[in-house]
Amino acid sequence: MEYSPGPILSNLAKALEKQYRPHEAELLWKVAGYFDDALPAPEFTDFTSLVKMLTANEAEYLEPIRQAAASTEAKAADRGALRAATWGGKVNAIQKSLADRYAKKGDELVEGKKLFVCEACGFMFLGDQAPDICPVCKAPALRFATVA
Amino acid sequence: MHAVRNLRLCTKDCVCLFVCPTGATDTETGQIDFEKCLDGCRRCVDACPSHAISLVMDNYPARPAKDKAVADALLNFMEQKHREEALAKALAASASTPARAKVAKALAASLRILAEDGAREAGYMIPQSTESKAFLEKLLAQRPSVAGKQFPEAELKELLSLL
Repeated sequence: MEYSPGPILSNLAKALEKQYRPHEAELLWKVAGYFDDALPAPEFTDFTSLVKMLTANEAEYLEPIRQAAASTEAKAADRGALRAATWGGKVNAIQKSLADRYAKKGDELVEGKKLFVCEACGFMFLGDQAPDICPVCKAPALRFATVA
Repeated sequence: MHAVRNLRLCTKDCVCLFVCPTGATDTETGQIDFEKCLDGCRRCVDACPSHAISLVMDNYPARPAKDKAVADALLNFMEQKHREEALAKALAASASTPARAKVAKALAASLRILAEDGAREAGYMIPQSTESKAFLEKLLAQRPSVAGKQFPEAELKELLSLL
């Protein structure tokens, strides 16, 4: 396959859940699960490597989306792709900040606190309780998953 | 189109029971009986005082075709986020403390959501779309191997027959 099937499949499985097709969703989750560990474990496993990757994303992966999606004609612009790049840019910055702060401070950073992830856009929050509204995508608090 | 109840919004005023001509809204699970629900009737949708009932489509419209350059840029982003997710998962698996595992797990979850968003905007928004079905057919034909796992052929075939 040209691209990794995992995220494509899990995205489609979530779409089936939103369509209230539980049986089809279950089948697709099974197919998606097959690819859960399809990517080989990376050579370097430290937070600093992750910070490096996240730092390069803005120029290497997000700006190309914006350039391809923007058009001089408003009607031809792909606003869905621009939306993905807008949210993606903000969430990528948060991911980078958290990985970087953890790389520097270690466990002390998160001790006694909970980590929340917005299931709609990926926004991450470190604190005692989830925000009332996601600052990136405006989803309500109930869309936040708590990572224990 | 049949009606679905959002159980989080439902305030149990049960007005939907008064207006449903087939009794589809009165079930032991709390969800509307799709088999009994009349196509496009929507009486319960309009009657619900809490706006907890909506209609779901049986057929979804074709979406505007994606420009190839835009789709490629989004899929490259997806791929990069997926690589980062693999790194975060490896960090979680090898974490020496629970706090370290927690940070890595949260990052892996967040990274997966961004990867999925890239896929969604690249043309894989709806499972019933031509692009999504073609992708699933290709998967079935190619059967990519994953070490130590058996390809879920039966599930994929059944899914394709239902979409």
